[in-house]
Amino acid sequence: MIELAQNLIDGLGRGSIYALLALGVAVIFGVMHLLNFAHGEMITVSGYAAFWALNAGWSWTLIVPLILVVSVVTSLLIERLAFSRVRGASDFTLLLTSFGVHFLVSAVLLLYVSASVKNYPRPGWVADTWAVGSLRVEVFDTVVIVVTIITLLATTALLQRTMFGLALRAAAADFDTARLMGVRSNSVIRGAFALSGLLAGIAGVFWLMRAGSTNPTAGIDPMLKGVLAALIGGLGSLRGAVLGGFALGLAEVLLRSWLPNGLASLTEGVVFALIALLFIFRPGGLISVGHAERV
Amino acid sequence: MTPNNLFPNKQRDIGFSALGALGLFALLVGGGLAYQAIVGTGSAERLITTMLIDAIIVVGIQIYVGNTGVLSFGHVGFGAIAGYAFALFAITPEEKLKRIPDAPWGLVDVSLNPWLALLLATVICLVVAVIVGVGLARSGAESGAVAATVITLALLFVTHEVARNWPDVTGGDRAGLSFAIGGSLDGRIAIYIALLAALLVARWYAQSRSGRLAVAAREDNLAARAMGVNPLVQQMAALLISVAVVSVGAGLKVYEEGSILPDNFFFNYTLLTLVMLIVGGRNGVTGAVVGVIVMTAGRELTRRLGQDGYELFGIGLDDAPLDWIFRENLQTVFLGLSMLGFMIWRPSGLLDDWELDEWLHRRLNLPKTADEQPDSLTELEDVPQANLRVSDVDVRFGGFQALSGAGLEANSGEIVGLIGPNGAGKTTLVNVITGLVEPSAGSFEVNGHDATALAPFELARGGLVRTFQNLRLFGALTVRENVEVAAMIAQQHRTDRVLRDTDALIAEAGLWPLRDRRARELDYGNSRRLELARAAALSPAFLLLDEPTSGMSDEESLAMVEQVRHMAATVGAGVLVIDHDLAFITGISDRIYVLDQGRIIADGSPTDVQANPAVQAAYLGSTADA
Repeated sequence: MIELAQNLIDGLGRGSIYALLALGVAVIFGVMHLLNFAHGEMITVSGYAAFWALNAGWSWTLIVPLILVVSVVTSLLIERLAFSRVRGASDFTLLLTSFGVHFLVSAVLLLYVSASVKNYPRPGWVADTWAVGSLRVEVFDTVVIVVTIITLLATTALLQRTMFGLALRAAAADFDTARLMGVRSNSVIRGAFALSGLLAGIAGVFWLMRAGSTNPTAGIDPMLKGVLAALIGGLGSLRGAVLGGFALGLAEVLLRSWLPNGLASLTEGVVFALIALLFIFRPGGLISVGHAERV
Repeated sequence: MTPNNLFPNKQRDIGFSALGALGLFALLVGGGLAYQAIVGTGSAERLITTMLIDAIIVVGIQIYVGNTGVLSFGHVGFGAIAGYAFALFAITPEEKLKRIPDAPWGLVDVSLNPWLALLLATVICLVVAVIVGVGLARSGAESGAVAATVITLALLFVTHEVARNWPDVTGGDRAGLSFAIGGSLDGRIAIYIALLAALLVARWYAQSRSGRLAVAAREDNLAARAMGVNPLVQQMAALLISVAVVSVGAGLKVYEEGSILPDNFFFNYTLLTLVMLIVGGRNGVTGAVVGVIVMTAGRELTRRLGQDGYELFGIGLDDAPLDWIFRENLQTVFLGLSMLGFMIWRPSGLLDDWELDEWLHRRLNLPKTADEQPDSLTELEDVPQANLRVSDVDVRFGGFQALSGAGLEANSGEIVGLIGPNGAGKTTLVNVITGLVEPSAGSFEVNGHDATALAPFELARGGLVRTFQNLRLFGALTVRENVEVAAMIAQQHRTDRVLRDTDALIAEAGLWPLRDRRARELDYGNSRRLELARAAALSPAFLLLDEPTSGMSDEESLAMVEQVRHMAATVGAGVLVIDHDLAFITGISDRIYVLDQGRIIADGSPTDVQANPAVQAAYLGSTADA
């Protein structure tokens, strides 16, 4: 019982980060029909920024806003340099463009920044726990969950209450009609990339705090989690993406504790296989957005 | 399927494409040997060997990605499965005892000759491919190609994770599996054979019935289904053939390298093979081969640029001033830039779908026979009886009732019009009849058999064929190929009907001079006529035409009326034509149904309907003012 509760909290903490990543992926998918395989690059680049700043003597209090800013700027830069040139292209082109961006960023970092893993000190409280009865809860998990809930509420408010949110939702529902109704495609797409970058930045803060290191291909893992979570939830659905993130986090933690010892190291492989199974039985994901065919 | 159905055009499809495959083989091998002879170093030899093996794998990927249009990251994952399986079966027991003494299922004692091991590895890979293929088909049908692509990505990661974390079998992350020294390939004969086979298979598949249907679905999935193609079957066929070729290539890669590590078949190799594929042009085998050559050369060049103190063709270059940019691993930047650059400026690659053998065929065969305009077709006299009956159909979209209790009937030999103002539910009714929308109540029958729950491709095979309000042609295919796709389906599923010659139908539609043009190059009127000819080639019992004259001038519309009437009579089809243009409908139809707000408000002969007060109120009143 205690173990289950422990796992649930652990899974929620992990799932929170995935949910933020997945939401960023879903926002971009909504406006551009682009599944962004370069979504992890925001974290890779901010990781190097954090490493540099820590070496320069910055404290984590200053590094957190630095990560957010670097992440948003990276997201906007990638949009400007690559994605803005393939708007409206086929799925095939969009997917490979983002794949190419991912490779180019990591190759450039590898060649011109550093080929080795860069370690930096994590903030002291990351490893702390507090005891609630016989339950030991990580301070880190608590912070992650609280921040994620606040972020999700704020994002919901942004999407529901502001003109930008309305434009974004309209564009996600039907981009062409939204444009005809006066939504400016440039600003809504850039706004989406800024929002996506910010969400990735918040997730990135936690990711980097926990990892304590970065390397040129560090973006693959968060990218994959975000993309898979968005897919589990049902591509195109923002609520689905958040749900998918939590589902993925819980699945990982629970599987790791349930799988027999010899197989525990295969958790990730089993999760991928389960996702493939999910898609055989529920091809549209958890929240299926009906893509009505237009004739 | 009868054998002559496998290849629609034997001489061109089997003979010439074999010639094309041979040509590409000569290009790769001849070019490679020439380079080796000029450079004359061991590293040049290794470079060419690597290029030939990459070519096998890239051509294998092309079979799936090129013909279906679905991007796959998973083929390198299939390669990993085949590579490990091959290594496990082929490595000697002594070597395995050293590396993986704890392997389960007695794998340590297995010792097969390499050919048998390769065969077995391919079979294992095919079994996995069937399972993955079912997932791809199901999610692809529901959520589009993007979901399918992510499943292929998941496959790549599953294989990589398993390879890293199952050291008992795979040797794990660091050690991997390796052969005893001297285990690598003696000479290149095996590679040559596999390469030639891969090229032949790729060209033959593209020309085969299955390949052509897959390409039709790639060009327009919905239109292909409405023509009776089941894209899922063709995609599965393409996947299996493609995975078999990739497996062989992967086995040879492992054999040649003498070892296998998880990272040998992961992201970097995926990037390399995909860049090779798209740079040349993913839609053709020639493109894939050219991409392999161009990228191998480019990568070698950038690799050397990245080295300190290199020389190029014997000329020493001093790169000290550029050292800050030309660093080691420069080739990864080159690969990333190539992928981005081509996706942004030339997504269809250098050659698109240009094929060596098709070019040869055009060159050599052009002035020959069989290219005179066929005689015009006579209208069929004995038309098989057919009946289409729609009864009491309800369709709801959320709270909106699009159809309530709508029904109509049509018989072979007659032209039935369905008319109504915009938003009356006309297209919804056509969508019910063609299987795109399932009604919440009511049914429809073809010749007395219930057809309400059938999928679009089943309905098309059963003789209900539609055209689309907004054109849906197979853009990259020529006029002839568009019609041939329909004829291929007809040969298999419409055997009880009179099948017309495709060339004659093209001539009948007035498209003979344009027969070798790509469909996307046609103007609007010709596109409409091609859609009609393509539908007629299926020998349908009923043709459903959704606004066939929308966007046409009055004059063109009149000509279209004549064409519809004649085409339908030529193949003996009844016609159900949907439009909002009253003059057009009354001009063409024997009987008319009037739809308003989801209900049939009148039916009868054109004169009856025009005189009906309810029709005048609902429909004519509004147009008369305009």
